[in-house]
Amino acid sequence: MKPAWSWQFEAGRLALAPALALPSPITADWAWAGSTGAGVRVAVVDSGVDAGHPAVGQVAGAVALTYDPDAPDQVRAADGPHEDLFGHGTACAGIIRSLAPEAELYSVRVLGARLTGKGTVFAAGLRWAIANRMQVVNLSLSTGKRDYFAVFHELVDEAYFAKVMLVCAVNNVAGPTYPSQYASVFSVAANEATDPYRYDYNPAPPVEFGAPGIDIEVPWLGGSTIKATGNSFAAPHIAGLVARILGKHPGLTPFQVKTILLALASNAAPPGGPDSDRHLLVR
Amino acid sequence: MPDPPERLLERVATLAADLGPALAPIGQLELLRSITAAARELFDAAACSLALLDEAQETLTFHVASGAGAQEVVGQRVPVDRGIAGWVVSSGQPVAVADVARDPRFAAEVAEATGYVPRSVLAMPLQTERDMLGVIELLDQRDDAPAGRRDMELLGLFANQAALAIEASRVFSSLGQALFKAVGLAAAGDRDLASALDELARHAPDPAAELAELAGAFARLGQVGPAERAAATRLVREFLAYATGDRRLP
Repeated sequence: MKPAWSWQFEAGRLALAPALALPSPITADWAWAGSTGAGVRVAVVDSGVDAGHPAVGQVAGAVALTYDPDAPDQVRAADGPHEDLFGHGTACAGIIRSLAPEAELYSVRVLGARLTGKGTVFAAGLRWAIANRMQVVNLSLSTGKRDYFAVFHELVDEAYFAKVMLVCAVNNVAGPTYPSQYASVFSVAANEATDPYRYDYNPAPPVEFGAPGIDIEVPWLGGSTIKATGNSFAAPHIAGLVARILGKHPGLTPFQVKTILLALASNAAPPGGPDSDRHLLVR
Repeated sequence: MPDPPERLLERVATLAADLGPALAPIGQLELLRSITAAARELFDAAACSLALLDEAQETLTFHVASGAGAQEVVGQRVPVDRGIAGWVVSSGQPVAVADVARDPRFAAEVAEATGYVPRSVLAMPLQTERDMLGVIELLDQRDDAPAGRRDMELLGLFANQAALAIEASRVFSSLGQALFKAVGLAAAGDRDLASALDELARHAPDPAAELAELAGAFARLGQVGPAERAAATRLVREFLAYATGDRRLP
């Protein structure tokens, strides 16, 4: 079982990602070793997070957003703990937690009892995350509706300039989906790996990163775990790593973090090695 | 004594509006049935079911199913804020779960409703770039299914086709209904087709209202000169090209 876009991360298909000829190479030791993600604010924009799940631990803050045509901007916000409607937000939070055990997790619930106004609420969730100075935002959901192209474009640019890392699962639809489609986000599909540190950089985007998301064990409702597949489980692996990097190197910009991730991707060309420019030939 | 012609026209229009969807070349239900049967065969699953969102976008209703538990699942309604199908339409993301029985709430709800608890579920949203329509689910695929490891990607392409077909069939039948209703209105009263369509647009819910309004504009266009018609056609094509981002259209 493979989600769409994951084919490009199959063994033998993935070309080498270009290396930077730095005086001394970027290493995992330097990038994230020893970091727990402590002090990094990570938002999970999803179906809610079950703070009682042992794999999740403490949730630092939570807000539930719902569509209400009479509210200002048509969205009503309720601060305080909430349940996870599906189990999915809990799955994402648990994956992030497994990589960045001391990150501050925030649950931004944007899904609810009806789909009407869903895109508006989803955009409001992203706006909330930017306004509340989240540093990493996991978005394992998307909308394919063209009506939202401009709204998300503006928000994604705002996040980029505010150094908010948006980590987005790409979906299966043939057409564009937002916000995974924009160049400044960290777009992620599932690769075949099970080791959470074995992620890939795709030298032929639009999808930039491949991370574990096929048949992986994830936390679910009621303290349970299930074995699931989807690009939506790949994104939180990258979100967790980004949180670890930021825990050690606060204040990095999205392009700096992408540079670090590329350098440490499993298909990165050896720095300065004979293969470092092989990507130019492979494409 | 036979009906006067205008009364007859009105009655025919009402009848056609009601019968249209049922007599369309391919009815919606038949289309959905063929989609699930094909998907089940293609992906070698024990069952395949398809649920569509209701108008209020609060509930998913299973309209068709094929395979194990099919009879029981048809007609089942699930709220969009519960379960795997709910998450898929809410998030726009497909998901596959290998062992659904380990999700205690899901297992209990499904068992109660259908008497058949699958081992695995692969759920894919049915959506176009205009709207989320529903979800298609494959239950208990055989491990050695021919499509194999690329199932999720292939089902995504399949779902895309299905969603476009469902959307096209809906637009076709709503436009047909709007036109027939307008003919009825025009025949019953002393107004022309264009103003009858306008009247319909004022009272119909979106997107039927938009279609009726558009049809009204076209009815008026039909009465103006050929040069104006050509100019209007050109404008519409230009706009379409702009709106869809397809520069090849004009």
